[in-house]
Amino acid sequence: MLSFFDPLRGMDYLSVLVRLLTATLCGTAIGIERSMKNRPAGFRTHILVCLGSAVAAVTAHFIYLVLQMPADVTRLGGQVITGLGFIGAGTIIVTKKMSIKGLTTAAGLWTTGIIGLAIGSGFYEGGLLGTVLVLLTEASLAKLSARIQPDPKFALELLYNDKDALNAMMRYCKDKHMNILGLQIHTQEDEGAAYAAYAATVKLAGNLKAAELIEQLSKMPGIVLVYED
Amino acid sequence: MLTFFDPLRQFTFGSVVLRLLLALVSGGVIGYGRSRKNCAAGLRTYMLISLGAALAITVTLYEYQMLHSTWADIVAVVGDKFDATRLASQAVTGIGFLGAGTILKVAHQQVKGLTTATGLFATVCMSLAAGAGFYECVITVLLLIVLVLNIMTPLEIGFKRRLRNITLNVQMDSVEDVAAVSEAIEAQNATIYETDVEKVKSPASAIFILQMSRSNSSHSGMLSSVAELACVRSVQELIS
Repeated sequence: MLSFFDPLRGMDYLSVLVRLLTATLCGTAIGIERSMKNRPAGFRTHILVCLGSAVAAVTAHFIYLVLQMPADVTRLGGQVITGLGFIGAGTIIVTKKMSIKGLTTAAGLWTTGIIGLAIGSGFYEGGLLGTVLVLLTEASLAKLSARIQPDPKFALELLYNDKDALNAMMRYCKDKHMNILGLQIHTQEDEGAAYAAYAATVKLAGNLKAAELIEQLSKMPGIVLVYED
Repeated sequence: MLTFFDPLRQFTFGSVVLRLLLALVSGGVIGYGRSRKNCAAGLRTYMLISLGAALAITVTLYEYQMLHSTWADIVAVVGDKFDATRLASQAVTGIGFLGAGTILKVAHQQVKGLTTATGLFATVCMSLAAGAGFYECVITVLLLIVLVLNIMTPLEIGFKRRLRNITLNVQMDSVEDVAAVSEAIEAQNATIYETDVEKVKSPASAIFILQMSRSNSSHSGMLSSVAELACVRSVQELIS
């Protein structure tokens, strides 16, 4: 390991002070980046997590090295990791569309806590390296992450008045190698005429465009209306 | 183990940098595929937890090194209770909790987010190997996880489409119509295993768990024959 940190690895007050301040700084650096994106966990949360973890690690060292009581120096740190898992689970939000938000925040808090443990143990190299890598990941990949295009999924709804129309549409999707991921049929009445509506989520295959699919389906006999949801 | 990696198993600053980067990149590879599928846990989530888990192991290795060098005389007096797997084991528990937060109950006997939770769990375990310098394991497991998450998904969906056992969620005008729906299902030679009336008030809704006959096993055929009934407002196939 890097030898210039060696004077700060002991259990004197100066070393403890440096560890707690370093943990505060690292927590601030990660937290400010999250705050700028207006995420639920801002920089105070990250400082507290990082500082708290560092205190736990330093206290374990104090008990073993200064009080010289038999202990496993990593036990407190281990429980910090579990505890942060709980806190992280609490930051996860279920939206109305039944999807998840806040998982990246949870993962970030968890990793910040482990960085705090590294610094609190006097493993400055690990703590600082971790902070730099988190900042690089968060800052540089936020843009890249937004640019990753999910595989095109396409929700389709069509009205038909003839059972054969549905079969024709299923056959069409099969011919084009499109996967139908979900299926819902309901009947609805419109100006006296009864229609069956069919909602499907299909995965577009190859280079077939959504507009092209709608056009092809609209031409089929028995199909009244097709639209993209 | 492969002796080729041995120089990198020493606990030096260089090898720590390598281990953390390996964890970050491996997490990124898994996360990229998940982002493409628009899953709850994407690129950054996977990279962050991989980094955290690998860092937890390097902290353990650091403590071990210190206990056997600088603090060796204290260890001789107080005794050695150090457990090199403690931090790693808690990382596994911690990520289990996090994963539990991603699991949602979406409908009758249906959950979503289980693959996300288990993906995070497997990734953390892989990163523990990275932090420990168990490079051959990381590379092997990375390949296997990517294989499972990317290649197995279409296989699983295709398999489920061909299953004869399906679950239908039917909305109808009133509870009395359950009998009519059951008849329509049985008219297709299907066997109903379970009928579960979920809502009694209009529109009533019920879940039918059934097995279609071998000769007549088209999912869409079953849906449209149920939808044809006048009392039925909507039919939906539930896929887990």
